[in-house]
Amino acid sequence: MRALRRAWLRGWTFITRRSGDQRLREEVEQHLALETEANIRAGMTPAQALRTARMKFGPVEAIRESYHSEEGLPAMETILQNCIFAMRMMRKSPAFTAVAALTLALGIGATSAVFSLIQGVLLTPPPYDKPDQLVLVSAVRTDKQKMDSARGWAAQQWMDWGKDATSLQGVAGYGWTFNFLVRNDGSQSMQGMEVSKDYSRLMGLKTAAGRGFEDSDFAPGPVKAIVLGYEFWQRAFAGDPQIIGKTIRISRWDTPPTVIGIMEPGVRFLPSPGAAKEPNYDVNAPVDLWVPIYPDPKNLKDPGWNVVARLRDGVSLQKGQQELAVLTARGALSEKTFEGFQPQLQTVKDEMNQDGQRILLPLLGAAALVLLIACGNVAALLLVRGLQRQQEYAIRIAMGMGRLALVRLILTESLLLAILGGALGIGLAFGAVTLFKMIAIHAVPRLDSVHAGSAVLVWGLVAAVLAAFFAGIFPALRVLRLDPMEVLKSAGPKGTAGVGERRLLRAVAMLQTSLTLALLVGAGLLIRTMAKIAVVPSGYSTGQILTMSVTDVQNGSTWSSFHHHALERVAAIPGVQYAAFAWGVPLTGNNWPATIEIEGQPPAVKESDKTALPMRAVTPDYFKLMGMAQMNGREFRSTDDDKAPKVAIVNHAFADRFFPHDSAIGRKLWFDGRDKLGITIVGEISDGRTDDLTQKASSEVYLPLWQANAFSKHLVIRTTADPRAIVVAVERELRAVDPTAAIENVRTLEQIRDDSLASRTFAMRLLVGFAAVGSLLTLVGIYGVLSLSVVSRRKELAIRCAVGAQHSDLRKLILGEGFRVIAGGVLLGAALAVALSQVLKSFLYEVQPSDPATLIAVGLLFLAVGLLACWVPAWRAEKVDPLEALRCD
Amino acid sequence: MSQKTDVKQGTLALMVLKTLEVLGSLHGYGIARRIEQISGDLLSVNQGTLYPLLLKLEQEGSIDSDWGASENNRRARYYRLTKAGRRHLQSELRDWQQTTEIMARFLSARSEELS
Repeated sequence: MRALRRAWLRGWTFITRRSGDQRLREEVEQHLALETEANIRAGMTPAQALRTARMKFGPVEAIRESYHSEEGLPAMETILQNCIFAMRMMRKSPAFTAVAALTLALGIGATSAVFSLIQGVLLTPPPYDKPDQLVLVSAVRTDKQKMDSARGWAAQQWMDWGKDATSLQGVAGYGWTFNFLVRNDGSQSMQGMEVSKDYSRLMGLKTAAGRGFEDSDFAPGPVKAIVLGYEFWQRAFAGDPQIIGKTIRISRWDTPPTVIGIMEPGVRFLPSPGAAKEPNYDVNAPVDLWVPIYPDPKNLKDPGWNVVARLRDGVSLQKGQQELAVLTARGALSEKTFEGFQPQLQTVKDEMNQDGQRILLPLLGAAALVLLIACGNVAALLLVRGLQRQQEYAIRIAMGMGRLALVRLILTESLLLAILGGALGIGLAFGAVTLFKMIAIHAVPRLDSVHAGSAVLVWGLVAAVLAAFFAGIFPALRVLRLDPMEVLKSAGPKGTAGVGERRLLRAVAMLQTSLTLALLVGAGLLIRTMAKIAVVPSGYSTGQILTMSVTDVQNGSTWSSFHHHALERVAAIPGVQYAAFAWGVPLTGNNWPATIEIEGQPPAVKESDKTALPMRAVTPDYFKLMGMAQMNGREFRSTDDDKAPKVAIVNHAFADRFFPHDSAIGRKLWFDGRDKLGITIVGEISDGRTDDLTQKASSEVYLPLWQANAFSKHLVIRTTADPRAIVVAVERELRAVDPTAAIENVRTLEQIRDDSLASRTFAMRLLVGFAAVGSLLTLVGIYGVLSLSVVSRRKELAIRCAVGAQHSDLRKLILGEGFRVIAGGVLLGAALAVALSQVLKSFLYEVQPSDPATLIAVGLLFLAVGLLACWVPAWRAEKVDPLEALRCD
Repeated sequence: MSQKTDVKQGTLALMVLKTLEVLGSLHGYGIARRIEQISGDLLSVNQGTLYPLLLKLEQEGSIDSDWGASENNRRARYYRLTKAGRRHLQSELRDWQQTTEIMARFLSARSEELS
């Protein structure tokens, strides 16, 4: 009861700000008066009596403090008072405040922007029920060898797992599919997921409107019911709820399906490794279309399924993996086509975050370094200001203020400064996140789900508090050792620093230099990588080539006439040099892995030993258009159509791999057994880095498009001038052939090339930016340290000058101090850089993380620039007038 | 005269309450003096703890205070025990007596009694 009453009163006193200060003062006065009188009565002189009374009473300030701490809510009150005081101090020196806050803003802005990306991309779980239990089951070779192309599972296999595996709650099969919503004014592509009966339940997906699939939807015959993805529903139907229950036209589906529901928003694909080479494949996109499929009893052994499973509660990944391996091996005993593969489990979350982690974690590290460097600068600023305020601190201590209270006061000041910097930094971060979304949309997966919002605020605040702590702790701790008597006695010149302070500041500057060097080395490595990639011989030309995915969405009968007419009309556009259709445009990830048999190669014994290679399909002018040299044999002709004998052109890597001592021309390939007619190799072209600029060319097989009948493909056009100028004309001609044709992804090959390097470019730009900011801050820091050093050593410099030191000697003295700081930082930084740049390994190309050339170049460059920052202080040292400097002390 | 010692932690509140019970209303200086006198000048009351303690006791409702005139006709703040304070004092006294009895028993214990 009593405690409660007291707490209430204290709270009340705090809120009403009713302080008993006056009352205490009167009581103290009264106490002293009475004591004095008593002393006089005891025989002292009045002066002596008062003095004795005062001494007995003790330090009034300390009593007031403890009185106050009983009165209201002291902690809150102190914080409030400290804040008010700190604000007053900040207003008193606006330049200092601005510099410190801006410096912190840079660090806080960078860190919270990158953290917001991480929050949006990595930390936001996929919208599945208990995503940690979900595992993807991919196929690897039992003998651990690398496969040319990804392989799926047979329905019979995963259905057995579902029945027999005790470690799983359920198993579902899925696949990637791609189609077009047919519209009379240009059709629209939609990528979708084919899912087995248990998929929605297994993943925990719900519909936002309408219903999900029921068991009756999984029936033989054409698909009658589909579910639309939320984002596609918004995009293509403007979120019209009336669409549910209606039918829509889908290319090549004879029966228009009925839309039965809309999936909840934000559902993305699960990876389908086999489909990853399709032109429209984007695993990070939201799903547009959901299609029910069920294993056809006739094709139970076809390995076309991707598989996802849910582990039972408490079952580990390893246990699940072991059990599935046993089941799979048992299945392979009785079925030859299952031989040679074993399952490999990976959580859905890991798989989704792989690419994002690869790029975002190094960048977070870089941003944190910038923040640390900024903290270093602010710490130095605060330290210097602390020196200027030594007198004030000494007086406070002499008046009876506790040291810890003083530390709290000083920390409050840096916290307030950091919060101001944080507010600015959050503004910066909002801008940065918007900017990142603009420049990095191809570099970071699922970046579209990141919104500059509360995450930026929260992380900004966290970063600000961290910054306040790092920047404020050293200056604050100094007062613990402050000797008030010394300070008050000397009353010396303000703004100078003793040896200890200067050493501390030099250490801070050195640390900053080393962190900056680590950043610079990272940026340097990526710049070198980009330079190396720029001169990679790609094997084809990228200039003045326009590409777009063009698909005729009618049924198969119009296929040939559409493409022939389209090519004729496009080729006739002024400014067009060549036009071709191609499945396999470089760097689009676009190829078609197929299992083939090759003449002269022994037939594969096991299923896993079969050769699966990327197939491409092109029209005759394609190689000329791309500038790929004909090395042997002939080109494709327009007569190589579906009535002519089947032919193929292979690249040099193929010829080299399979016919190392012989010509490949005239040899045969088979898709479906050597007893069939086969495809004759008629030509050999030079190699191109078609999949990835940083990878050596792989074996490729090109088929004539007229024989391969590829459904989805690109129209590729080489122009004599800027390729973007003819886009409108090309679209007009294509629409003239077929108004429903789908024309999408209009990009120059140059852009495609840039996109394929986007994550490297993004990392490079960001690192360069961070390194530039870090360098600037560090140079300012070095400049500040040396300036302070010159001011503090004026007397010493003056004496040196008076006893005959030359100007150049003084300059050398200061430059030497600067050199030691920078050189020390550079050496330390080199070691740090070697350790830290390992995380960039996956971004580098033909450059080692510890590349000595980069280290030396960056180190020397920074040393040179750093010495420039020392120049002004050194020049000032030279200008010290011995007479004046000696007189003023 | 032996060295003056500070009031032991936690006992000052009890002394203040007891002083006010015996002497009625009293100002801060008076309380400090009485405690020192009663202790035979063996205790010295630290003002740094006295005034905050008075405030605490008042906030708890054990004492009440008012301005009044002191013996030399100055304004002084007089403290007096409230009803709640009296109850508080009784229970504190009981506790204290118990504690001293236990302490006394321990301090007078001989080895044979403990075995």
